[in-house]
Amino acid sequence: MKTILSSQTMDIPEGVTVKVNAKIVEVEGPRGKLTRDFKHLNLDFELIEGGKKLKVDAWFGSRKTTAAIRTSISHVQNLITGVTKGYRYKMRLVYAHFPINASITNSNACIEIRNFLGEKKVRKVDMLEGVQIFRSEKVKDELVLDGNDVELVSRSAALINQKCHVKNKDIRKFLDGIYVSEKGTVNEEA
Amino acid sequence: MLQPFKRYVEIGRVAFVTYGKEYGRLVVIVDVIDQNRALVDSPEMVRGQINFKRLSLTDIKIDIPRVPKKKTLIDAMETADVKNKWENSSWGRKLIVQKRRASLNDFDRFKVMLAKIKRGGAIRQELAKLKKADVA
Repeated sequence: MKTILSSQTMDIPEGVTVKVNAKIVEVEGPRGKLTRDFKHLNLDFELIEGGKKLKVDAWFGSRKTTAAIRTSISHVQNLITGVTKGYRYKMRLVYAHFPINASITNSNACIEIRNFLGEKKVRKVDMLEGVQIFRSEKVKDELVLDGNDVELVSRSAALINQKCHVKNKDIRKFLDGIYVSEKGTVNEEA
Repeated sequence: MLQPFKRYVEIGRVAFVTYGKEYGRLVVIVDVIDQNRALVDSPEMVRGQINFKRLSLTDIKIDIPRVPKKKTLIDAMETADVKNKWENSSWGRKLIVQKRRASLNDFDRFKVMLAKIKRGGAIRQELAKLKKADVA
């Protein structure tokens, strides 16, 4: 059944400017600028109240199109928090016997992992654009990934995690790896 | 303000029937039955239901209460001057021309052919004059 009109509105906080043109949303804030392209969706994006609110409409939408309204608003909310607070993902190096040797190179943009489970293979992971990685100072065996775009930060964390999968062993016993321990923001106020 | 739709289905919206027994008639939407059908009325027809797919909305809207009596409907259409607005709109004028063309007999079509040739000749003469003036 087609629902004639379904729409949702979201508030845009102070200090953030949102521009929307032809389903491309640009968000600008204290930490920088992020863009997202919603051209694959059949929705109307509109800024109302002079830029204080974003309205998303779906005319004659099926269930899936109506569902896409709220997800697109969530994506824009993620852009806004990325541009105001930033995203900080923390990962822990977990090992039973062989200490994982992680070295950050290339001005915080690349990580090299040695001695994972005693293997000679060196694993190198490049961070995606706009993502910085560094070892946490006070906590032992912790990596911190910082960035504005949640998709890029979480994907970088996933790439690191996937590079350190254990092969040909019982994974219930061999629990080594680099795991995401915390998903948070860079600035904690507001 | 983003306006993807300008003409809305509402009580009082004048619509044009594009399919079925009432093809070509201008009707007024007097009530909405469900998501697909409307109750529709016109001065010369019995009030009845019709699917939205058989309607094309026009720009004209009149002020009526929900399901008015025939007399109220006719009075409202008079005050809003629907007939004249329709006949002066480009859509209405096009329909009148189409109807006239469809009702021509062979002699009329012959006369149209002669008139077109005469008009084409006059246009070509003017064009030739302009071309000569341009070259000079």
